Amino acid sequence: MPEGRRRWWHHLTTQRPWLVTLYALVLGFVVGALVIITTTASVLDAWRAIFSSWSALGHAIKLTFDVVGAAYRTMFTGAVVNPRVFWHAVTTGQGWTYALTPMSETLTYAAPLIIASVGVGIAFQTGIFNIGANGQAILGGVAGAYAGSLIHLPTFLHLPLTLLAGILGGVAVGLIPGLLKAYTGAHEVIVTLMLNYVVAALLIFTLLSTALQQPGQQNDISRTIDPSAQLAPLFGAASGLRVNWGLAVAALVVVFAWWFLERSSLGFDFRVTGANPQAARASGINARAVIILVFVISGGLAGLAGIVQMAGTTHYLDGGFLIGNAGIGFTAITVALLGRNRPGGIVWSSLLFAGLGVGGRAMQAATGIPLDLATVIQSAVVLFVATPVLVQEIFRLRHTEAGEVRLATSGWGS
Amino acid sequence: MTRVSRLRVRGIGAFNVLLGLATALGFGLASGWKARSSLTFNPVDLSASAPWHVGTLTLATAPADLVLGLVMVALGVELWIRVPTRGVMARFGGVAVVFFLALLLWAVRTTGPAPINFVNVTAVLVGASALTMVLIFGSLSGVLCERAGVVNIAIEGQFIGGAFVGSMVASTTHDFFFAAIAGGAVGGLLGLILAFLSLRYLSDQIIVGVVLVTMLSGLSSYLNLQVLTPFPQYNTGNLAPNLPIPLLTKIPVLGPVLFDQTGFFYLMILLVAVVSFGLFQTRWGLRVRAVGEHPQAAATVGIRVVGVRYANVILGGVVAGFGGVAFMASQGQFQPGYTSGLGYIALAALIFGRWRPSGAVVASIIFGLSLYLSYNLQTFQVPVSTEVLGMVPYLITIAVVSGLIGRVRPPAADGVPYRRD
Repeated sequence: MPEGRRRWWHHLTTQRPWLVTLYALVLGFVVGALVIITTTASVLDAWRAIFSSWSALGHAIKLTFDVVGAAYRTMFTGAVVNPRVFWHAVTTGQGWTYALTPMSETLTYAAPLIIASVGVGIAFQTGIFNIGANGQAILGGVAGAYAGSLIHLPTFLHLPLTLLAGILGGVAVGLIPGLLKAYTGAHEVIVTLMLNYVVAALLIFTLLSTALQQPGQQNDISRTIDPSAQLAPLFGAASGLRVNWGLAVAALVVVFAWWFLERSSLGFDFRVTGANPQAARASGINARAVIILVFVISGGLAGLAGIVQMAGTTHYLDGGFLIGNAGIGFTAITVALLGRNRPGGIVWSSLLFAGLGVGGRAMQAATGIPLDLATVIQSAVVLFVATPVLVQEIFRLRHTEAGEVRLATSGWGS
Repeated sequence: MTRVSRLRVRGIGAFNVLLGLATALGFGLASGWKARSSLTFNPVDLSASAPWHVGTLTLATAPADLVLGLVMVALGVELWIRVPTRGVMARFGGVAVVFFLALLLWAVRTTGPAPINFVNVTAVLVGASALTMVLIFGSLSGVLCERAGVVNIAIEGQFIGGAFVGSMVASTTHDFFFAAIAGGAVGGLLGLILAFLSLRYLSDQIIVGVVLVTMLSGLSSYLNLQVLTPFPQYNTGNLAPNLPIPLLTKIPVLGPVLFDQTGFFYLMILLVAVVSFGLFQTRWGLRVRAVGEHPQAAATVGIRVVGVRYANVILGGVVAGFGGVAFMASQGQFQPGYTSGLGYIALAALIFGRWRPSGAVVASIIFGLSLYLSYNLQTFQVPVSTEVLGMVPYLITIAVVSGLIGRVRPPAADGVPYRRD
């Protein structure tokens, strides 16, 4: 066996964090494929017929690969690029908008996801599980919609004001679990979860019964925010691509988060608190202040994500804002876990999960396989990422260091 | 063991006084002296009506609510002064029931000559009992898991799985016995996954639980579109039949609520009795609690910590799976997302009930009533929008988890991975 090849093999079979993540992804897609196979009537019928003839077996195998292949292929071409269309654009110079739309859509969806996930990740690093990012993002969107549609200012004032309103909306929702945890010990998981339902009802209420409702409308739909409050398309409105300046906001957030966690003393306090609360208390870190500040930052980022989503794409709110599959705040939890709560990792995992969401929609349109498959794949991936030892055993990876147990969350008692 | 801190008792007392004052002023005095409220007690299903005539009770709203508010104040003052160590939960439950009665009286008040509005107390309690039952299944599941030291946050997912599979099996076999078994099996399987990942691989229990819920909600809406929509015969929607207990159903109000229920309701009562007895009166219960409080010590005396935890988490999953089937059987068809956080509310009921089956039952009754009223108060023409009413149960959950119980003491090893060293 040649030396180089052995080294390559050694690399792929020795446990390291990025490799575990990669293999978790593979396993996630395998789970997705199994779900498709066991629920698609045509595939099941083909397998039922395998005892009738040899050709039926071949047909069943071929059909299985065709169906799963078509699903994942349309997912890829819908989220990244369709090589044929791209080549056509390169050779003729025509149809660039069409060729770049998938990538633009993925980036459009990724921008708010990155922002919200960074917020959730910072909380995780402090040992706090913020499941309420979705509610915080919704109220961010609502507050931003008020500022963007009911106040009229020139762009250089209006856009920052709208974004700030979004941040404050998120902070307002985030402060509730923060204060309650700091002063009464209420567990943040239940409080934030319950607040998600409260804010979802509040969204409908504001859309139906306040000045935010589009005049002359009976439905749950808001006013459209002024052009001066919108995040403009990155390549100009003429490009036809929706990717917008929200991506720049996301980049700023990532840089801020990296600086905050790695370089600032407050960020150091946060990480110490997350790694070892007893040590943090012993070294004089004010646990209460840390808890409240975590929720201010995490909630503020979630609120910013909500307003970036709204000001960058639809420019108005409706009753379906961030509900169900569009729930950025819920995806953000899985994104943060996949990215190991670090800003750099979160960028990659946001792009991946945004791609899964956007590609899932294309898959549903092309093959009829429901978009919810993307959610299944995402949660499977995160289950495997959260259980690195299982991945090690499945792929028989060699240990390099002793696997340490580190919990991102704490039980009810603390 | 059942000692409650004086501060907490005083806190509950103060809360009761405030709620009582709000009731007396907001519902009582503000509704005016002319308002009248009517209560009826006949069951919706007339075959269960009492052998004697049960009339309509018409009260003057303002004095009635004033009295009810003062009763709540009195109960609160008693807690504040005497600071009893036992029966605090029962008293709080009583105050909650009185509050709901006052709320109902206020909601149906009419000033006209003839009562147009009335509230059917029996129908309200029967309606609330379905939700209460589901919450009790969920919080019992939590008791089983957390007493053994594993946080089961996946109850919501087990509800979804149980409801989905329960609906398919009930639609094909038309038999809720098989539906219950299938739903319980799915819940148990999810419990096994949670146990496997958190006990064998020491993963973070809360994260695994939350991700399991995400997966189940994604999977169920995927399967709903991929399987149930093209094959509607798998989701025909069957309501579980009532199994009235002869004679006892004839008791006014209590009869229809307690003795004219589906099999799931009786199963729930049986489970509450078995779990309370088992947990506190048997060797098995002592072992479970030892494992949840101090696994190292339990291991020293020869208890198989991991084995006990596996058994309890799987058992808890089965119970939550039953809860999912019971929910489906009270709602009809499966619909994605229709459990709307009931699993998490059950978890709050468990915490509120301080990890005891009896406490969880009281908490579930309070939550069940408030959920039912918030869904249905609109039919009584309450001048509050549906959305605001819809927030109430979740806000109560938050208030309960934070203000009322404050720093409760969960089983000491709850959520802490155990490693045999």
